[in-house]
Amino acid sequence: MRRSSPILGRFRYGYVAPAALLVAGLLYAPFVWTAYLSLTRYDGLAPPEWAGLANFGKLFDDPALLTSLRNTLLWVVGTMVLPVGLGLLVAVLSYDIKGGAWYRVPFMLPYALSGAGLALVWSPILSHGGIANVLLGVDTAFLQSAPVNTLAMLLVWTWQQLGVNTLLFVVGLQSIPKEPIEAARLDGASGWRLFRHITWPLMRPLTAVVVGLALVASLKTFDIVWVLTQGGPGRNSETLAVTMYKETFVASDYGYGSAVAVMLTVVTGLASYLYLKRQVAS
Amino acid sequence: MIRSGMATLGVAALFLAACGGTGGGTPQKKTELTLYNDKGAWTKYFDEMGALSKQKIGLGMKPTGYTDSAQYQAFIKASFRTNVKPDLFTWQTGGMLEEIVKQKQVADTTAVWHEAIKAGDLSQDLAPYYTIGGKQYCVPMNVAYWGMFYNKKLFDQHGLKPPTTWDELVKAAATLKKAGVTPFYHTSVLFSFVWFEQLMAGSDPDLYDRLSTGKAKYTDPGVVQVMEKWKELIDAGYFVNPGDKTDPGDVMKNGKAAMISFGTWFNTSMTQRDMKAGTDYGFFVIPNVNPALPKTSVIFESGPLCSLAKAADPDASTKYLKWWTSAEAQEKWATSRGDVSANPKVQIKDEALGQITKDAGSGKYRLVNRYFEATPPPVLTAALDGFGKFVTEPGTYKEVLATIQKEADEYWSTHQ
Repeated sequence: MRRSSPILGRFRYGYVAPAALLVAGLLYAPFVWTAYLSLTRYDGLAPPEWAGLANFGKLFDDPALLTSLRNTLLWVVGTMVLPVGLGLLVAVLSYDIKGGAWYRVPFMLPYALSGAGLALVWSPILSHGGIANVLLGVDTAFLQSAPVNTLAMLLVWTWQQLGVNTLLFVVGLQSIPKEPIEAARLDGASGWRLFRHITWPLMRPLTAVVVGLALVASLKTFDIVWVLTQGGPGRNSETLAVTMYKETFVASDYGYGSAVAVMLTVVTGLASYLYLKRQVAS
Repeated sequence: MIRSGMATLGVAALFLAACGGTGGGTPQKKTELTLYNDKGAWTKYFDEMGALSKQKIGLGMKPTGYTDSAQYQAFIKASFRTNVKPDLFTWQTGGMLEEIVKQKQVADTTAVWHEAIKAGDLSQDLAPYYTIGGKQYCVPMNVAYWGMFYNKKLFDQHGLKPPTTWDELVKAAATLKKAGVTPFYHTSVLFSFVWFEQLMAGSDPDLYDRLSTGKAKYTDPGVVQVMEKWKELIDAGYFVNPGDKTDPGDVMKNGKAAMISFGTWFNTSMTQRDMKAGTDYGFFVIPNVNPALPKTSVIFESGPLCSLAKAADPDASTKYLKWWTSAEAQEKWATSRGDVSANPKVQIKDEALGQITKDAGSGKYRLVNRYFEATPPPVLTAALDGFGKFVTEPGTYKEVLATIQKEADEYWSTHQ
């Protein structure tokens, strides 16, 4: 076995130390601190008081959290169907046609906006008496009743995310080797059959990435909801991330907010793990 | 191994040193103070005050305005533990001031109050809002009386005059509604409590006070009746849709609603929109729902301007707060915004606002602490969400009251 260079060997910890310290200081330490706070009563001012599992007990007794979970689930399912599903559709339809890239440009532009900026743009459109009411000739308050408000916000999210998902799927389509496609075409496959049996399976590695990223992004949905509805009215459009923020910074219940944060981390981690495990296995 | 360990420690030391800042505790002599506030829309007026203070007392002031109050409060609380501290900051009276005083974060201003009261720059009546454990903290950044702003042109058009009884107010609403004008404004976010506090204070101000100290319950019959009264008005179609995000100032200007209940600070929104008092809009005291009450209840609020107990330059901060209460400073602060002042010497230009200030000072009204300050923060959060739900689905009022009471029970079980 070849020995590594003596200089590299001596200082190997020194080389990785800056990166390790950054990750430990900015990622792991806050997480450990949050996990500790979730076991305390803490208002952000007085020193935290040990509360054991009381905050987690409250989680299961909080009707608002159930609404929050329901909305988060709606965001996950909606994200898979709309930004991801439609992104795939636009990618497949615009790929391999003359000037396809130009068709995709309009879908890409909204991605340049931040979530908060996006919500500010859509606020006068969706609010009662807003532009959507005038254009559609209806008197619906899109941001008032659940689940209409969450669905309306999902459309806003789709408007922003569609382009980037399309782009990723196009990259996936471009990376597929030509030979199996040509062979399938020679065998008479085309249209849906070609996509279903040849293109789609070959795109699997990239689909796993797109779906994985969308899954995590939808589980931590915050900015659009916060700017458009602040989780209301009456907490009916809250997601887990909004509940975490509200409990911590609005209600100053840092302990309970931290418990929601821990729960959100566990849910996101578990969902990602199960999904990726399934992808790797298949 | 030892060397690589040393290298790691060296990098760690450098990293920590870089994060650590310069360390606090060294007294500084400041010529310009920072003023953090959650009134981002008032930056222009704070800037003007900074320029004036520089000229008058040789101490400038630079404002940093936030527009999201939750974000602002989180920043201030976090700043107590760091070296990035504001010299001056705005806050809220009531439970929130008590919280930070208990943690010994706020500078004692008893001497400033004592001197200002003696000089006639502050009124003794205001002191209780700033007194905790017998000492005063902060000074009034602003004061406000709540009433009804109304679109004068719409009132004139439909032959209406400012009502003096609750029945007249409801009759005016009915007239406007019949003519296709929406009488009242309300919202499902932040200010969702406005009509609750107004109806409570005008029906049973004692119950309102008991509610804010945990001695009454949100499920008590008196509170339920208030919600039913509110529901009655919503069901009659007297309110704009609570989901309408039009700025209330624009709602008033374009006549989307004829009446908006807000504090006298709302006058600033009128000033910013070039609306003229007495021609474009007016202001009246909202009559009591219960005519048998001896005095008309008027909602009162006062927002504090504070300095830190461990300020970088405590003398400069105190000097600024002292100047802030003076007639010279308050004249500018009130007139530039078209608002009332905490200093009784200041002449209020707006006739209606000047009148309510004078009447309130003479004891004509029963002043009721605004719900936002009167209610403990966790109960307030639940209540704001609850009222937001109620204005969207008025049939849920009993469920809403039960939810708020659940939070109140939890809070008062440890805070009596």
